[in-house]
Amino acid sequence: MARKKPKLIKERVPTIERPAEERVHDFKEVNLGYTFELAVKEAERCLQCPAEYAPCIKGCPVHIDIPGFISKLVEYRDNPDKAVKEALNVIWACNSLPATTGRVCPQEDQCEKNCVMGKVGDKVNIGKLERFVADYAREKGIDDELLFEIVPSIEKKGQSVAIIGAGPAGLTAAGELAKDGYDVTIYEALHEPGGVLMYGIPEFRLPKDIVEKEIDKLRKLGVKILTDHIVGKTVTIEELLQEYDAVFIGSGAGTPRLVRAPGVNLNGIYTANEFLTRVNLMKAYLFPQYDTPVKVGKKVVVIGAGNTAMDAARSARRFGAEVTIAYRRGEEDVSARVEEVAHAKEEGVKFVYFVNPAEFIGDENGNVKAVKFEKMRPLEERDARGKRKIEGTGEYVTLEADTVIIAIGKHPNRLIINTPGLEVDRRGKIVVDENLMTSIPGVFAGGDAIRGEATVILAMGDGRRAAKAIHEYLTKKREEKANA
Amino acid sequence: MGYEILDKKELAMNEVLYKVHAPHVARKVRPGQFVIIRAFPTGERIPLTPIKWDREEGWIELVTFVRGKTTMRMANELRPGDELLNVAGPLGNPAPMKKFGRILAIGLITGMVEVFPIAKAWQEFGNDVTTLHVTPEPMTILKEDFERSVSRHIVESYQLQPGWGMNEIAQELVRRAVAKVRELLEGEHWDLVFIVGPAGGEKAVFEVVKEYGIPMEADLHPIMVDGTGMCGSCRILYDGEVKFACIDGPGFDAYKVDWDQLIHRVGFYADMERRALEEYLKSLRGSE
Repeated sequence: MARKKPKLIKERVPTIERPAEERVHDFKEVNLGYTFELAVKEAERCLQCPAEYAPCIKGCPVHIDIPGFISKLVEYRDNPDKAVKEALNVIWACNSLPATTGRVCPQEDQCEKNCVMGKVGDKVNIGKLERFVADYAREKGIDDELLFEIVPSIEKKGQSVAIIGAGPAGLTAAGELAKDGYDVTIYEALHEPGGVLMYGIPEFRLPKDIVEKEIDKLRKLGVKILTDHIVGKTVTIEELLQEYDAVFIGSGAGTPRLVRAPGVNLNGIYTANEFLTRVNLMKAYLFPQYDTPVKVGKKVVVIGAGNTAMDAARSARRFGAEVTIAYRRGEEDVSARVEEVAHAKEEGVKFVYFVNPAEFIGDENGNVKAVKFEKMRPLEERDARGKRKIEGTGEYVTLEADTVIIAIGKHPNRLIINTPGLEVDRRGKIVVDENLMTSIPGVFAGGDAIRGEATVILAMGDGRRAAKAIHEYLTKKREEKANA
Repeated sequence: MGYEILDKKELAMNEVLYKVHAPHVARKVRPGQFVIIRAFPTGERIPLTPIKWDREEGWIELVTFVRGKTTMRMANELRPGDELLNVAGPLGNPAPMKKFGRILAIGLITGMVEVFPIAKAWQEFGNDVTTLHVTPEPMTILKEDFERSVSRHIVESYQLQPGWGMNEIAQELVRRAVAKVRELLEGEHWDLVFIVGPAGGEKAVFEVVKEYGIPMEADLHPIMVDGTGMCGSCRILYDGEVKFACIDGPGFDAYKVDWDQLIHRVGFYADMERRALEEYLKSLRGSE
């Protein structure tokens, strides 16, 4: 690189964030990201660790060449369009949904976790730089330009792959396989592709028009998307195998877990999946302009403390409710991203720790009016995930609530796992080998369908790995056919 | 990509039939299963039951009862040649096909539409099926189809009185249904009673059937969003356990259903549904 490295800049270049008191009244995006000037300033902080050493690359589930894309911003700083195009090209080699991952990845646990800059100051803001590249490219049409260069060079293989589920795992696998020259068709149960990116993650964290544009890019790569098709009902995996050369299951973990406590079916008690689907996918926050209703009372209790709980709590705040997150463990074991917890607190969400729901109390009309919790106490011991074990105290506390949102996790979708011959474990997770192939030859799986419940980026990592494995599997098939 | 409306006709008062090109559903659907449709870009997802289909030609027939904003807007705005935005399915489990013997299959008001494919299939399977339609006049939907397809078709109809509100209409329905069912149970032997209708009516009829100890199945209609087991909106309490009507049903053993809870849950959005309808009606007046 021609340019001399500037001296260490210890502090992060801040991104622009809308103030809490303003954003809590709408569903528009909270963080506005970097401008080109600010992005370059942040990019200059990167120490440019060599690729074989760079701890950020090791921490990334899809192994993006992070110093590589960051260096392009600095190298071509005099030509923003060129800088972004070069950077995007580096990212696309590993990740086809950067506008999404730049927003929703838990960077602090992955790429940024071991950033060397962290030893002397703030870690490089990799997530926001990735997002900047994707956003700038989209706004200027640079991503399309790059696509038009890629598409004509794709060599058609004459084989086809069916993908089940248009969520992060399926979309990623589809993109990779399309680039490899396969005919790809995605089967999606809902009316919009995107999976959790559309129904789960709220607009203020991941605007839906951005997800739609990322999916449009896949269509431009030749990926076909069939909505309204429920695999297991509309079509079976067996039938797909007759029509396609391979199948990838990315059906996610869509079955909500419910609290096993009396009164769980009272009116006003939502699973986070239902609440978020109504709000995000069906746009209930725009009722009655949009037809789907949602009822958010004055006092909302959210049970659980993962990212989904934060999304639900912050969404409920935007309806003007007083919102409390109730968690059975302590603050140290909250599993949501640091940024989400901080945003929730800024927006006035309250937290109550060491409480476990014991009973939902209803009024005479069958509507919830309070939740009775058992107080828990932490033990010294930790469980397999490193969280402190807890035990009940026999003491109870009651929180008033006219809306309750249960966000304690999800199981894999049931409609798929009932496929004959498809091996699943006792939790309903699909069993796969080291190549992500299931017990049915030619059928691969990844994402939450095999993990139970994880993150968008891990699902995308699986999608990439599966695409590679499918490519190898189909290459072998082609060769066998040629030799036969 | 949408699903073309091949034909649309009014079957009875507020009862509209849509013949829709949906080959992916037509090739797979079985009696008792349903679809979820979306008709407008700002629209909701609503469950509907295909009453007839042609696997070769790739169409299904759906019937809506005009009662809320979506069904009214569909009736007003959609024409043959237009498209439904989404038709997802088939969803839910097919009705059990076995020899029960003598079956009384009851449809309350528009629930009768859903009874049709199941009753017809049961009859073809070798059962002796009587269908009973309890409904205000002149709504005698599918009357000829029923008469052709089952052993006996009974219509128990009554006049709506001017000035009746929703409560009076519901009360009259229950009164008529309960009286007619009691009469039929009293005089004849039955092996199975099956019912489709509003939850309150289903419960009232169940209370009568229970007195006679006859096995009873009911198709339940809690509020759904996705219809694929993802959201839990349609959950019911069944034999003390939480079940999802979309993937565990829609047919359930009436003896195990927590009916009061179901009735509460079905009414949860009634005020908002009314508001959506009122705003829609206002917008119609505004555009005149």
